[in-house]
Amino acid sequence: MENYLVAMAVFAGLYALLALGLNVVWGMTGMINLGLVGFFGLGAYASALLTRAHRAPIVLGLAAAALVTAAAGAAMALTTARLRGDYLAIITLGFSEVVRLVASNELWLTNGTDGISGIPGPWRGRVTPQTFNVVYLAIVALAVLAVFALCQRIRSSPYGRVLRAIRDDDQVAAVAGKRVIVFKVQAFAVSAAILGLAGALWGHYTSFIAPDVFTPLVTIYVVLALTAGGTGNNVGAVLGAALVIFLMEATRFATGWVGMLKPVQVAALREALIGGALLVVLRVRPRGLLPERLARS
Amino acid sequence: MPREIAQLLLNGLMAGTILAVPAIGFTAIYAVLRFPNFAIAAHLTIGAFAGWLANVSLGLPAALAVGVAFVVAGLAGVLNDELILKPLRPAGALTTAIAAVALTLVLENVVRFVFGNDLRGYDLPIRRDWQAAGLRIAPQQVHNFVIAVVAMAAVFLFLAFTRTGKAMRAVADNPMLASVKGIDADRVARLTNFVAMGLAGVGGVLVGLDTSIDPLTGFRVILSVFAAAVVGGLGSIPGAVVGALTIGVGEELSLLVLAPAYRTVVGFAAILVVLTLRPRGILGERAY
Amino acid sequence: MSALLAVEGVVAGYSPSDEILKGVDLAVDSGEIVSVIGPNGAGKSTLLKVVAGLLRPHRGRVRLGEAALEGKPAREVSALGVAFVPQEHNVFPSLTVRENLEMGGYVDPRAARRRIDEIFVRFPALADKRRHAARTLSGGQRQMLAMAMALMVAPVLLLLDEPSAGLAPRAAEQLFDTVVAVNGDGVAIVMVEQNALEALAIARRGYILVDGRNSKSGPAAELARDPDVRRIFLGG
Ligand SMILES: Nc1ncnc2c1ncn2[C@@H]1O[C@H](COP(=O)(O)OP(=O)(O)O)[C@@H](O)[C@H]1O
Ligand SMILES: [Mg+2]
Repeated sequence: MENYLVAMAVFAGLYALLALGLNVVWGMTGMINLGLVGFFGLGAYASALLTRAHRAPIVLGLAAAALVTAAAGAAMALTTARLRGDYLAIITLGFSEVVRLVASNELWLTNGTDGISGIPGPWRGRVTPQTFNVVYLAIVALAVLAVFALCQRIRSSPYGRVLRAIRDDDQVAAVAGKRVIVFKVQAFAVSAAILGLAGALWGHYTSFIAPDVFTPLVTIYVVLALTAGGTGNNVGAVLGAALVIFLMEATRFATGWVGMLKPVQVAALREALIGGALLVVLRVRPRGLLPERLARS
Repeated sequence: MPREIAQLLLNGLMAGTILAVPAIGFTAIYAVLRFPNFAIAAHLTIGAFAGWLANVSLGLPAALAVGVAFVVAGLAGVLNDELILKPLRPAGALTTAIAAVALTLVLENVVRFVFGNDLRGYDLPIRRDWQAAGLRIAPQQVHNFVIAVVAMAAVFLFLAFTRTGKAMRAVADNPMLASVKGIDADRVARLTNFVAMGLAGVGGVLVGLDTSIDPLTGFRVILSVFAAAVVGGLGSIPGAVVGALTIGVGEELSLLVLAPAYRTVVGFAAILVVLTLRPRGILGERAY
Repeated sequence: MSALLAVEGVVAGYSPSDEILKGVDLAVDSGEIVSVIGPNGAGKSTLLKVVAGLLRPHRGRVRLGEAALEGKPAREVSALGVAFVPQEHNVFPSLTVRENLEMGGYVDPRAARRRIDEIFVRFPALADKRRHAARTLSGGQRQMLAMAMALMVAPVLLLLDEPSAGLAPRAAEQLFDTVVAVNGDGVAIVMVEQNALEALAIARRGYILVDGRNSKSGPAAELARDPDVRRIFLGG
């Protein structure tokens, strides 16, 4: 039981990273990323491959994951920077599918749908699984803290104010031209790096990744976490992530009680509940539990 | 080699024509309601299953199953929009787009709950391929091609010649002016949803007739649908057709150099290329 | 003559706290042309939008004959015989000229079929282009089309927002001739204009709007001679 709670805390921390990452673009800049699971997956694969096949230190894997995803994010933001936000929505959604396709089909690199197992974790094998769990929780907590501090810094800085101006009035983009594009691309790259970092941390924790892990469902979880917590609010992002993990686990138990259902029906019910929860939150509490409160600008 | 290419071109045109049907739906909703409605994926699946029920359980011929799919998916589209997406539209296009993804997840899982994950095929007579000039074509492909062309022709006639169809184009052009002229934007929105999601449903049947269906059928083709719409110019209906043919042919020709699994990547690449070189698409955004 | 349109003390803006119009009055009698002039940003377009039902006023009254218009949606206002031609984006660019006219008469398709031929007689330039998309028209033709669309419903009151903006002098002149001809058929017209002299020349009465308030009003000929008006708008 204790182990289970620690594991849930680790996953909540990883989702908090994802929600914080999404908040940088969606909450602060008003750009959408409907394929954030693609960046999450790309980061996971990048770090897993580096550390497993090339025996690179995990820290290097994490850095590489952040760099690769930042580059991919920047490219996508740059391609659509001058267009309506809808195009970015389409392109990111498409990107996540491409990541999944490549992961499923490049057997030589990713081992296809069987996935990659035996991804190294810090001190894994050298300490008991319990200790590993606790150590990893500490690492994730540190990462969340660091990213949280960074995001708060961005938010309250003049830089963050520019991002908000872009979010609140996309017309600015048309008028102010180049500089706005730079801001958008930077914000998207920072966000993507955070998502990639979360993916890498995920892989080193579970020691196993496969294309199946990176389905659009993850994107919905994260959007739900951020929306429920409070779009634009970093505290809300972390809180929302914890809530979503709680909800996911609660539905696991709840659907476990419904006896007559087949496993596939149970799975369907859970996914539908998650999607439904997002729709309900968007409808009844679109600004989340902790609505964004703006410092004087 | 030239024969192989000719065969791929032929297959691509056939596939592109089928793709054009849901792509028109996607682009039409974008033109009128100004947001990318990703729930087109779920309605494609709903249509595929409605048509499958009509065909396999009720024993209706494929052509009638298409009609059933159109109506069922169209009505589902109107209902889902009225109840779920429409109230969110004031919050902005992107919020509505997010909701559409969540809606897709819900609907897809409703289908999964009822039908499970098994692959299902339509009841079709098995017929030998036709051959001419060294090219092969399945009678079913031709049949699907004809259905797609008829559906598209109906849409074009509707838009060009009926009062309501013209009103739809007017709202797409300029909603404010349309309301000044007494056009009921809500009614036009409902009708657009019905027709567009109905077309997605027809697309679902065509995919099903071509291969087989499962709850992920819609999601699997959605990337190609986006690509068709963006490449042709988001919001432009002739653009969606041109875009779909381009993507259909491109996906087939990619088989010359890429593994079949990467067909849909062609769509993504095409989006990137078009947005870089010609952001408004081949025919230009919103041009009728 | 009875007041056809009466705007009294209208306060309006684009958000609840926004006051672009700060208490504006306007009266139009049946069959007359009233010109509204004023500097850029004075709220002239906003005033027309309030009358047309595109913007709900915070306070004040808008009456057409006996009917209260304030708060009615644009669709209902147009059904009462008020036709509005916006300053820009006033045609459907991807529809043909003929289709644009059909949309102008959308609410009554039977009458529209009849009126389309009359419109083509009055606007021969449009008749020649009936199958062309509106986006291919010249500026002058586009303004003509916008006005013709408004006439498709046989309005009692026509609201024109800067119809001559951006037109070459000849096209503008032609347009004002058309406005006079339309008025000759008994349609009352409210015309917002930058071309103050021309606008006052064809109007019976005029209103000057400055910073969301009435500044001056009276017979058009008097306003055109008013030294203040001449100084501000005519550079003289
Ligand atoms: N859609 C709008 N939203 C917010 N403010 C607007 C809008 N349209 C006009 N305004 C503001 O209202 C004021 C008056 O505009 P307008 O009525 O168009 O003036 P005019 O037509 O006299 O030049 C201007 O300050 C303008 O910025
Ligand atoms: Mg104006």
